[in-house]
This record gives sequence, C-alpha cells and structure tokens, in this order.
Amino acid sequence: VPMYKVKPISGGHIETDLPTCMYKLPNIHAQQGNSCTSEHALQNGEVDPAVRALEARQDEIMRKLHELKAAVEGLAKTVTTPDADLDLTVSSSLSSHSCSSATFKGVTDLDTVLGKDLGALRDIVINANPAQPPLSLLVLHSLLSQRYRVLSTVHVHSSVTSVPPQLLSCLGPRHADSYARQMFQLGFTLIWKDVPKLQMKFSVQNMCPIEGEANVARFLFKLLAPYPSDPALATLVDSWVDTAFFQLAEGSAKERSAVLRALNSALGRNPWLAGPEFSLADIACYCCVQQSGSASAAPANVQRWIKSCENLGHFSPAKLLLQ
Amino acid sequence: MTKEEVQGATEEGQQGPSKKGLKKQQKEAEKAAKKAEKQAKLAAEHQSTEEDDFAKDRYGVPAMVQSQQKLDRALVRVQDLTPDKADQLIWLRARVHTSRAKGKQCFLVLRQQQFNVQALVAVGDRASKQMVKFAANITKESIVDVEASVRKVEQKIESCSQQDVELHIERIFVVSQAEPRLPLQLEDAVRPDGEGEEEGRATVNQDTKLDNRVIDLRTTTSQAIFRLQSGVCQLFRDTLTKKGFVEIQTPKIISAASEGGANVFTVSYFKTSAYLAQSPQLYKQMCICADFDKVFCVGPVFRAEDSNTHRHLTEFVGLDIEMAFSYHYHEVIESITDTMVQIFKGLRDNFQTEIQTVNKQFPSEPFKFLEPTLRLEYTEGVAMLREAGVEMGDEDDLSTPNEKLLGRLVKEKYDTDFYVLDKYPLAVRPFYTMPDPNDLKYSNSYDMFMRGEEILSGAQRIHDAQLLTERATHHQIDLEKIKSYIDSFRYGAPPHGGGGIGLERVCMLYLGLHNVRQTSMFPRDPKRLTP
Repeated sequence: VPMYKVKPISGGHIETDLPTCMYKLPNIHAQQGNSCTSEHALQNGEVDPAVRALEARQDEIMRKLHELKAAVEGLAKTVTTPDADLDLTVSSSLSSHSCSSATFKGVTDLDTVLGKDLGALRDIVINANPAQPPLSLLVLHSLLSQRYRVLSTVHVHSSVTSVPPQLLSCLGPRHADSYARQMFQLGFTLIWKDVPKLQMKFSVQNMCPIEGEANVARFLFKLLAPYPSDPALATLVDSWVDTAFFQLAEGSAKERSAVLRALNSALGRNPWLAGPEFSLADIACYCCVQQSGSASAAPANVQRWIKSCENLGHFSPAKLLLQ
Repeated sequence: MTKEEVQGATEEGQQGPSKKGLKKQQKEAEKAAKKAEKQAKLAAEHQSTEEDDFAKDRYGVPAMVQSQQKLDRALVRVQDLTPDKADQLIWLRARVHTSRAKGKQCFLVLRQQQFNVQALVAVGDRASKQMVKFAANITKESIVDVEASVRKVEQKIESCSQQDVELHIERIFVVSQAEPRLPLQLEDAVRPDGEGEEEGRATVNQDTKLDNRVIDLRTTTSQAIFRLQSGVCQLFRDTLTKKGFVEIQTPKIISAASEGGANVFTVSYFKTSAYLAQSPQLYKQMCICADFDKVFCVGPVFRAEDSNTHRHLTEFVGLDIEMAFSYHYHEVIESITDTMVQIFKGLRDNFQTEIQTVNKQFPSEPFKFLEPTLRLEYTEGVAMLREAGVEMGDEDDLSTPNEKLLGRLVKEKYDTDFYVLDKYPLAVRPFYTMPDPNDLKYSNSYDMFMRGEEILSGAQRIHDAQLLTERATHHQIDLEKIKSYIDSFRYGAPPHGGGGIGLERVCMLYLGLHNVRQTSMFPRDPKRLTP
C-alpha cells in the first residue's frame, strides 16, 4: 500500500551551535530522508541486492530438495512399503536398532540441550494425567533409551488415587542397574498426577516448566536429533505436530477428517510427513491418529504410512497402551 | 488406766503445736457450717419466694456418681445426632461448651470431643423460669446429663459440628461441675495465629497451653491431632505386620550408651548407674542376629540433648524398623518407604476430618507424596543445591538450612513432600554404617525427609565383627565400651539394615505444624518435666 508523502517537518540543513561538552550524534532527520529515497528506489522497480540473494538461496534450496527427493524416492520404495517377508514381532527390536541409527542423523550432545553436566543424574520429570497418557512421549522415551543410558521411573502422585497397572509399567521393565542412579546419562521420571495439562520440569533454577505434550515432545526430540536446519522444513514439522495435538487429538470429527485428508495428500507426495526422513511429525501424527481411533477409517496413503511406522518398531510402547 | 492417761498426756504434749491447728480447723469448720447454713437459708428463702417451680425435679445437681445404681439408660453420642433422629427423646452426656441466656430461653452448646450441638432450654410447659436460670448458670466445661428431644432446624447452625439439628432440653442435671474460672478459654486456644488480633481477642501462648494440658487437649485441634497420631501408630503396626514383621519390646534401661554418644541420661541403678536407651538399635540388631528376620518396635526413646528447638524433645516415641535383606539394602529402603506411603495414604483416606480441623487453626498445604517414593542420591542433592548457589564440598554434611532448601527444590521439581536421600558420605555417618562397595567416600546410608525436615536416618549396618572393629578404631571409639555390640556379630549375622522414625515429628510434619510440642501429648524438653 503506498503511503502519503509528508514533507520533512524540519530541513536537515539547519545549523545550530552546539556546546562541545556533549556527544555528537548524526542528524536523525537527515538519515530519515536518505532511507526514504532508497525505498522509493525499490518501488520504482529496482531490486534490492539482499532480496535477490535470498531468492537465489531459496532456488538453491529447492533444487537441493528436489534432488534429495529424487534420490530418496527410490530408496523409500524399498524401505517404507510394508514388507511381507519381515515378521514384525521377531524383527521389531532388530529393526528399531538399525532404524534409529539410520533415521536420526546428526549427533546431538546432551550438554548442548540440557546444559553443563554437574556430575549428577540429569533427571527429566514429566507430570501427566492418567486420563490422557502421552503416547508420543512414551515413543520418544523408547527412542531415547536406545540412544542413551536412561533411568526410567514411574511414580503416582498423591493427587491421584489409583492408576491402571499398564500405566505403571508403560516405561518397560525396571533397569537391572536402577539401584545406582549415577550410572545413567539421563533420567526419565514419569509422574501420574492430576494435572490439567501435561508438564515437564528439568532444572527448576534455570528453566521454566514446559507445558503441553507437543512442546515436551519437541524438547525430547531435540535430545535425539537436531531439528532440521532448514527453517521451512522445521516449520513443516512444527506445524504437523501442532495439527496432530490440536486437531486430531482434541478436535471435532470434522476437523479430524480434514486432517486425515491433509495427511493423505502429504503422504502421497512424500514417504514421511516432513519429506524423505522420519521425524517428530510422524511420531506425533501416528500417536494422535491411533489415540483418536481414526486409524481404521484412514485413507490409503495414511494406512500405508501407519504400516510403515509400525514396521519401524518404535511404537510398541504406545501400542501396548492402546489395547 | 493411769498409764494410758500418761501416755495420752505425753502425746498431747508432743503434739503441742497441732493443738492450735486443731482449734483452727474447728473454727474453720464452724465457719463453713455457718456459711452453709446461711446458704441453705438463702436457698430456702429463694425457694419459698418462687415456690411454684413445677419443673423442680427436671434439673439440679444430683448426688455424686458413686455407682449407686446401674441405670439402663442409653446415651446418644453427639456425632450421631442427625436429622434421622428428629423428634426422638434422647439422653446425652456432654460438656457445656458455652451457654448464653436470652430472656426466657437459654442456648447451650454441648460438646463431646470434637463434635458439638446446639441445645435450648426455653420457658414452657416443660421448663420453668428457674430451670432456665439454672441452665444459664452452669459453668463452662461442666459435664451434664441432658434429656432432650431432637429437632430439625431450618437454617444450618454454622457454629456447631451438628448443623442440621438442635436439642430441646427437657431435663438437665450436672454430673461434674467445673470451676467457674478456667485457666484458659477453649475458643482462645483454637484461634488461628494472627486472627482476632485487631479485635483484641486473646490467644493462648504455648506454655500456658502446655501447663494446662488437660484443658488444652479438649480443644478440637488437639483432639484431631492425637486421633491422627493414634492413626499413624495403627497404620504403622498394621502395614508392618502385614509385611511379616514381628513387633518386639526392647529394654529402656541399659548398661552402656548404645551409640557411644554422650547425650544419654544417667539414672542411678542400685549401687551403680545405668543409662536410658537413646535408641533401640542394638536390641533390634540383636533380634536380627537371633533370626527374627524383620522386626519393629514402638517405644520411648531418650535424648539428653540440651537443644531448645521446635523439633527436639528429650523423650519421644520411636517407630523403629530393622530387617534382614537378601542382596541389596534398597530392599530395606523400599520396605520403609512403602510403609510410610501406606501411612500417608491411610491418613489421606481416613483422617480427612481431623486434617481439616487442624488446618482451620494451623493452615498448611496438603501433604503430597509419590508412590513409589522418590529416591535421590546425595550427589544429586548436592548438585541441585550448587545449582541454587549453595557452596559445599562433596563430603560435607547437609546443614539444617540446606536440608530445608533442598526440600523446597525437590518439592518444586517433583512436587513431593516425602523423599529419600541415599548414599551419604561415609565420613558424616556413624561407625557402624556399611561403606559403599564402589566408592569409599560414600556409604550405604539414607535419610528420609518430610517437608524438608529429616525424619529418619538409617543405613545398612556392618554385620561383620572384623570390619566393625576396623571402622570403630577409625572413628577412635573405645573398643571396650562397645564390646558387647561387636560380639553380637561373631556368631553369624545376616546382612541387615533399618531406621527409626520419631512419631511426634512425623505427625508434626504431616500436618504442617511448626512445633513438635503440639504433637506430643505431654512433651518433655530441657525446660519442661510437668505435667
């Protein structure tokens, strides 16, 4: 929208005698005048070199993406389609091991995300309401356990009177070394508590609690793999995560079917939701699709993707709770 | 005869001064008699002036109950006075909590423990003017027998525990009269701190309360506290018995200081002296060596520490646990923490009214806990404190303020008022503590905390005589003095561990009170031996 032109209120040429005891500043009015002229130049059809550089970069990125897509598509066909020869129950642990190393590239260092090691167990505390078990976090927990030495404990807070037994064992059997907390790199403490919103606490001094399953999932995922360095891709992952938790898990039937359609079309273009790589977006959407009970009525691409997800073997802890 | 007379005379001579006393007594008796006569006269006059008291035998002060007769009268409990008893004529024994006369009627609040009900005597065809006057003049805290009919009320009576009914008194007899001047008023004793200060209302200070403990214990708050305390004991016993523990009794007069400490009371014991047990630990351990496997005991423990703090008593009730374990002392921690959790759950589920009552006077946040109990290691605690800006060495003991701070940090992160701190530095624990197998700096010992205050200190004990001797020498303890302790491990001892909890402290911290004297019925501290 073009703006009104206003004449400068005072000319930049007024000379004033200033005392020498003060700092000298460049005349702001004069500057304003200059910037105005440069904007005019842009409006007149001249392109700013900065914008041109940005455009060039975007083109470059798009080109790289297309290349990547092409490269992966061939690979994806063999990996992602449900393999009839592979027995799921037998291979789940095997495949998950190979996949976790294959899926999450880029080494993350616990210190970069969690801060300096103080020589004691770094314990992540998650308060969850037993009425809404955080499936995605259980999946992330099992991924973390493959990556690090994780001490997992489940507690029941006194604000909750009873919890079904499968929620008590949702983090798997107790680690044989759990008597020595110092032997672990990371603590994962799940507390079933009467909370309105899922909550995560790590360092009470330096960090405020993180609220909401989606946000906690993002935090935990960063311990596994860095977020995509490409902002567009990172935003895509983020938006899928939000869609999953706001529209699939909590939304109306109408919203849910809309999301399923969106999932279907996205999965028609790519094997995974955020492009060629399995990501947090897939974890979040898978869990929410399952939780909302819309898996059986899902369209074809989504069905295929669900099977691919299950073939990875990461989702067994969530499946256990769904039964 | 003469002999006797002489004897009598000498006796009289010997009791010379008491003769005066006798006379004095006689005079006093005469005086009293006169007084009584006067009073009788007055009463008679009184009666004659108001002769036509038709309700004469519906009130009064009957003869003292000396078990003259066994009445078959069913007394109703105040707590059972509910609307479904409406329009019934019942008998009731209760204390007069307050009384307020208002023209032709008198309102009484009758109290039984923490329950109370409003009662009414009004001039009518059942009660005379004199009866109302009599009721109005009954001193507070007197015990009365009342026959009354139960009536539903339309507006809830907010000031009483039985809000839906009131009593219309038809007969009232005083069973035991209280002196008109009470050393403290019950309503003052239950007033929350700070409230009523503006109106110039009195609050009762702690010493007055403790000096007049009998009256103070009648308050709703005290009633609730000690009912809850009884609940703690009950739950402790029940839970451990279910777990297969055996309750044992240990001697309290002992020959040597069990922990070698100086803070023991010495008592004279015939020609020598003995000590009051400062912990049943030695005896618990001997029971383990005697194959009792798992034992607990509930009994008094004495500490001659001259510390006048909010949480120290010189005599308190110890709840002590000792058990043999199979392979790891965490089995002991799990047993103890589970017992505590069962106690907390039992209190949460069965003592809500008591908790609410105490909260009215001493507001506090509800006690929160996790199941299974959170176990942190000492190094973690130190790391949390350092993160909060506390400077301390790896092997330093926690100071009381640091314990409190750590309690707050743990509460913030885990939202629990109860947790275990495990793996204390060996240097700050007693000589009989088992060292950590991997790191000699640390030990297999633990403390448990409630609201940031330590309630239990325990450890895996050394069950090997040789290692025990070594550790004792390292601590420069005279081996002669603890010879019997070391000897009990010479004939084969199972690995074992345990700990002891102070009953008063647990109650205080569970309820969020600020002084352990509130949860000790007749507290003993360096400055108090009575009542």
